[in-house]
Amino acid sequence: METITIENSKWKNFTIQLKRSYAVSKKDMKIYYNKAPVLIQGILFPIILFFAFTIGRQVAPVYMVSGLMAMVAFLISTLMSPVTLPWETAQKTLERLITSPISIKTILLGNVWSSLIYGAAFSLIPLIIGLILVPSWISITLPLIILGCIVAGFMFSSFSLILSAPPSDTVSTSMILTLIIKFPLIIISPLFMPISSPFYLISPLTYFIDIVNFGLTGLSVFGPYGVLLDFGILFVLGFGFLFLAFALHKKTLEKRFRG
Amino acid sequence: MSVINVEHLSKEFILSKRMRRKNNRDSFHTKRISNVKAVDNISFSIEQGEIFGFLGPNGAGKTTTIRMLTGVLKPTNGDIFIFGQNFWENHIAIKQRIGNIPEMANIYMDLSGFQNLDFIGEIYGLSKQIRKQRALELLKLFDLFEKRDLKAKAYSKGMKQRLLLSMALISEPEILFLDEPISGLDVQSSRIIKELIKDYNRKGTTIFLTTHDMDVANELCDRIAIIDKGKIIGLDTPNNIRKIVQDYQALDCQFEGTPKIDELESLNAVKHVEQFNNNYHVVVENINDGICQLIDFINLNGLKIKNLSTYQPHLEDAFLKLIEGGS
Repeated sequence: METITIENSKWKNFTIQLKRSYAVSKKDMKIYYNKAPVLIQGILFPIILFFAFTIGRQVAPVYMVSGLMAMVAFLISTLMSPVTLPWETAQKTLERLITSPISIKTILLGNVWSSLIYGAAFSLIPLIIGLILVPSWISITLPLIILGCIVAGFMFSSFSLILSAPPSDTVSTSMILTLIIKFPLIIISPLFMPISSPFYLISPLTYFIDIVNFGLTGLSVFGPYGVLLDFGILFVLGFGFLFLAFALHKKTLEKRFRG
Repeated sequence: MSVINVEHLSKEFILSKRMRRKNNRDSFHTKRISNVKAVDNISFSIEQGEIFGFLGPNGAGKTTTIRMLTGVLKPTNGDIFIFGQNFWENHIAIKQRIGNIPEMANIYMDLSGFQNLDFIGEIYGLSKQIRKQRALELLKLFDLFEKRDLKAKAYSKGMKQRLLLSMALISEPEILFLDEPISGLDVQSSRIIKELIKDYNRKGTTIFLTTHDMDVANELCDRIAIIDKGKIIGLDTPNNIRKIVQDYQALDCQFEGTPKIDELESLNAVKHVEQFNNNYHVVVENINDGICQLIDFINLNGLKIKNLSTYQPHLEDAFLKLIEGGS
């Protein structure tokens, strides 16, 4: 008989919970992401939105690629996380998970992995198309762009967890909240906002776009060390949102099981 | 040896309600806050290898109690000790050793039966090989093997409940919490589940079972606690609880001919009579006098007995008496 014991060591417990969060993310990917309507929505929606705002405007190919990558990463990373917990509450599967030897943090981290993987992977599609069309972009900075996709995917996923914190079991409520918050962040990003306006600094998309632009052209709007600032801000925001989500969900979790 | 010790456990919910209040000039909203005590200072302990039944009417506090014991709700007051450890100080380690089927729980409809088991096995930290081996064993045991690759949304209610039970068993738990496991199931599925509960209990698994089905409690449980309005109002073996109503004696009769109820009730030994179609439930002071006087009454009125049996008080009678006493 195989018996599993939870160790007293904090580090060992952390690695066990990390491993189990991966199990949660695999389940999320099978149930929520690997579905044609979800993927079509995740890919088509940013493309349509992007071209609706760029057609007829003079936009350099580099900015088209970085803008599209940011749009895909942001919209896919924030697509399912806000609705996963309300959905699981409504489907009565969350209580089963909570009574398992995992914490709410593990479940949330599982949500982050799945949306990060999809957000980062799909954001590379515009880059791959760009590299096919403009082979001169292939340079040693490509790993930097891939790292940027991962860090941005993490930040966007952590941000989207906050949107599922209200203890609702109605998916539409979370979706409305998500739309109200997500789209203004796209509108104030450099995709649509002139660089002369300081509002674009508020949007987290700005820093990912800057990383891609730096990777493709070697130039950052924040100066020679701007890319470090971009990564720093994305990391700080990512962990900040993650810990905020942990605290909010811990506070609202019980309310999901009343009645 | 006690594996579960519950001491002075209480759970209070704070409910806030927005009310619309009007005054002469305009209307405004005000927030009314009220506290609801779902569980009120309960204490009990459960021995290793026991099947412990937790009975009560709807809204009595059964599910709130099981949710506190399994880590879903945090108690407002009191302590829970499982395997001698304070549950809320070591809940992850303790949950590793327990299995649970929440009342309203569901399986993942978009995963197959095998994938549901594999997922739960993985979050309990079982290796891939062990997960596969146990999942296939359980699918065979629960008669789900043939449909293991079918998405769970295609399963019947009984199959879903059997899959839920197998998900609770994949980690080979030492304690199994079952919240209304047989509620709403067909006869075949409920028989399979009852047999498996007995079987796992024989192998040493301690079982905490909530139900409002007296027959299930009577058949399965070593001891039962009866909860009403958040308080435990009775805790003993089913036989001892039944003794609460041992003074309740009655005869169930069917006659050829129609006796008048007021005439039957005028007999000295008869307390009162209830009629359901052709059946007469005659509550008597004592069985001997009741039968003798009934036979005299039948002969005197030219009736004939079609059926006569003594009524054994059920656990349900004791349950109702306790609940009525409590209220």
